[in-house]
Amino acid sequence: MVAFIIRRLLILPLLIIAVTMLIFAMLSLLTPYERAALYVADIPKARGSLDALIKKYGLDAPIPVQYWNWMVGRKNLDSGKIEGGILRGNLGFSKTGKGQVSEVIARRLPATVELAIWAAIPMIGIGIWLGVVSAINHNKLLDQILRVFSIIGWSIPVFVFGLLVMMIFYAKLGWFPPGRLSDWASQVVQGESFHHYTYMYTIDSLLNLRLDVFVDALIHLVLPVTTLAYLNWAYMLRLTRSSMLDTLSQDYMTTARSKGLEERVIIRRHALPNALIPIVTVGALMLIGLLNGVVITETIFNFPGLGSFLAQAALSLDVVSVLGIALYSCIVLIFGNLVVDILYGFIDPRVRIQ
Amino acid sequence: MAVAKKLLKNPTSMLGIILLLGFILVAIFAPNIAPPPAKTRDVYMIPRDGFATEPKAPSPKHIWGTTEGQYDIYYGVVWGTRTAFRIGVVITLITLILGLAIGSLAGFYGGWVDEVLMRITEVFLAFPFLLAAITLTSVLQTLYGRSEASAMQFIAKILALLTFGHNPTQDLNPLQMQILTGMIAIIVFGWMTYARVIRGNILAVKEFEYSLAAKVIGARDMRILFRHLLPNAVFPVMVLASMDIGAYVLTFAALSFLGLGAQRGYADWGQMISFARNWIPSLSEHWYIVVYPSVVIVLFVLAWNLVGDALRDILDPRMRGRGAGL
Repeated sequence: MVAFIIRRLLILPLLIIAVTMLIFAMLSLLTPYERAALYVADIPKARGSLDALIKKYGLDAPIPVQYWNWMVGRKNLDSGKIEGGILRGNLGFSKTGKGQVSEVIARRLPATVELAIWAAIPMIGIGIWLGVVSAINHNKLLDQILRVFSIIGWSIPVFVFGLLVMMIFYAKLGWFPPGRLSDWASQVVQGESFHHYTYMYTIDSLLNLRLDVFVDALIHLVLPVTTLAYLNWAYMLRLTRSSMLDTLSQDYMTTARSKGLEERVIIRRHALPNALIPIVTVGALMLIGLLNGVVITETIFNFPGLGSFLAQAALSLDVVSVLGIALYSCIVLIFGNLVVDILYGFIDPRVRIQ
Repeated sequence: MAVAKKLLKNPTSMLGIILLLGFILVAIFAPNIAPPPAKTRDVYMIPRDGFATEPKAPSPKHIWGTTEGQYDIYYGVVWGTRTAFRIGVVITLITLILGLAIGSLAGFYGGWVDEVLMRITEVFLAFPFLLAAITLTSVLQTLYGRSEASAMQFIAKILALLTFGHNPTQDLNPLQMQILTGMIAIIVFGWMTYARVIRGNILAVKEFEYSLAAKVIGARDMRILFRHLLPNAVFPVMVLASMDIGAYVLTFAALSFLGLGAQRGYADWGQMISFARNWIPSLSEHWYIVVYPSVVIVLFVLAWNLVGDALRDILDPRMRGRGAGL
């Protein structure tokens, strides 16, 4: 187990370096002029000043040199200070977010995390529950209904489902508005007496004892959470169902039955824990996927997280922001995968032995 | 043949096949079902009836209504079927060829070739798919107007030839160019699963006696690979990959929905749905701008999923669980 973790940890930096290379490769598809234009807040009006910028930032240097500069930063010949360098957390200036990309990510992240946490609970919980129900009633009517439901659920794209629930529950019924908070609540949140602990409004409002703000934040979360959950239920259901069916056909299930155990006990104590092993991985990966910003859901519901920011930046061809977020997401995904693999090793004794 | 028989026996896959046939018919007979106006420069540009912003409800003249900017929804949906098939088929084809090349080289040569190719595959897999597609599209769109980006122009011209039957000696149509950037982005980040599966299959097939026998009689590497290994390793993957057409159409529609795929007014389902983003507060009044294109997309993806699901069960029980979805 220790050797396994060490091996994974050794690969990790290599993988991250490879990812940065790929991202830099995308960046270097652009000419020095285009890159110079990307990295300055205002395009200088005077003739030839862009050339000066290219010289100043070494954008015409050989690609390996530029990659090195991009990674560790470059000494500014005028001020003597070291500028840039993604290893220092400097991802460049975001024109869309009007600030450093790293700051924009930090500012947008709490909303995405909040959405992810709220969505994960029903998504994983109900998905697993329906999957178990489906497996226990294998090939009976209930199972067939759930199967059809999951195939249909799987075939509805996020943007279609999102727009349809918006049409019904916002445009028609006016129950759940888009955005993150109502106007009055945002004023409360921006007020001086409101303390920000996590920047997740459902948590902060409780800590500030503002139940009205909490309810308002929750109402805004209902539709995006439903959308995310609905689209992942179907997948979770199928996975749990097939894993559960697999487990139910194992020899030890026959043993448990022949011992005369009650069916309920067999399922809870013997089948479910074993069937859940592969599901833990998928559930964790789903959560990581959500943390990376759910671009389309956030865009539809005008939810100011990382995903909707990415969509905005991509649309205005703000390559610096887009690549910054891509880098951030890849690193989250790589670390997430590592954690999941290790977790898997702890849960499943078979992996540990190998 | 046995596969086809099983597909026709299963009621759900039967439904999928009927739906797909319907879509194919609509695509073929688009000029008859929704005849383009007499003097049109590009039949894929949805005809406009004026320039008013407000969408108009279904009427005898526009049976499914018009979107913002008075684009005819019925026309767009019908011609969008062609766009969907073209984009889906070409993306799947090229992604599969790419995955096939990389996977079979890795599996066949093994050793450091395998090691390098599979590590590269891992790096590409480190990107979340939709995010990667969005990222690369926005980079490519920054540079697409540039004439000296010759490699990109070259790739784009091949794609344009395959997708639109565009004459490669002529300049690219800017309308198509925006679609091509999205397609390239999806292809670049789409091949990894195929490469992995094919590599595994080749590894398994390589161990069989006939492969050894071919080696013993002195057959060249490429002959062994193309004549003996690939035909045995690749067919099921190809059939399963063909079912990913629905998934790719969906991904492209997502790009279009975000405004990164097809251009405004192009007959593309995702692009048509993206009009609805500006009318969310009044969607209950303008329901038709969402409902018609949405229903068509869902049916299209559902059809592929129904057939694909049955195919997966029949061909390879281990591959159950993959399919179109976002």
